[in-house]
Amino acid sequence: MFAAKWNELTPAQRAHTRRVLWLLLAYAIVLPPLVWIRANTAIAGYIPMLMAVAAALPVLGIFASWGRYLSDERDEYQQSLALRRIAVATNATMGAAVVWGFLQAFGAMPLVEAYWIPLVWVFIQGFQACVSRSRTAEE
Amino acid sequence: MENRLRVLRAERSWSQQDLAERLEVSRQSVNAIETGKYDPSLPLAFRIAELFELPIEEIFVSPARRRSGAI
Repeated sequence: MFAAKWNELTPAQRAHTRRVLWLLLAYAIVLPPLVWIRANTAIAGYIPMLMAVAAALPVLGIFASWGRYLSDERDEYQQSLALRRIAVATNATMGAAVVWGFLQAFGAMPLVEAYWIPLVWVFIQGFQACVSRSRTAEE
Repeated sequence: MENRLRVLRAERSWSQQDLAERLEVSRQSVNAIETGKYDPSLPLAFRIAELFELPIEEIFVSPARRRSGAI
């Protein structure tokens, strides 16, 4: 079943999926030791900044991969779907961030770390992709 | 935009995947075009017409002509 789904992907989608999986693996490997070092050692100077950049790099790579995908995709319908998903996810995430920001400023909601914003963006996109695929089952 | 893609495909006993491979697009693209959810670009419409060896207007129905009752 996985192979069948994999074969339905365009070459650009397969390449993008491979890149994202590698980057997520890198993120899973890099993040725990950084969190442990931050919690258990007294670090100062430029080291925390380097650690923060190291933690962010795989996620930045995922965004770069999205850009590469849009450039590589030769299937115009899939490209239009990806652009639509990005537009919806960006609007929804930015809207949620603005509303949450004001709720936080007025003391109605607790502080949420900014790095949750891209995770919400990715989740909304993934959700849309699942809905889109289920709607285009062969009739 | 309405089209005869499904009929033309059925006449040749092609699955959506068969047609997608011939057009070098994804099966989802064929599905979206057949169901009228997506209108192909002019280059893709020409590729479809060339594959079926038909003029574009015999595959895709002009929305303006349909509205005017010409079709």
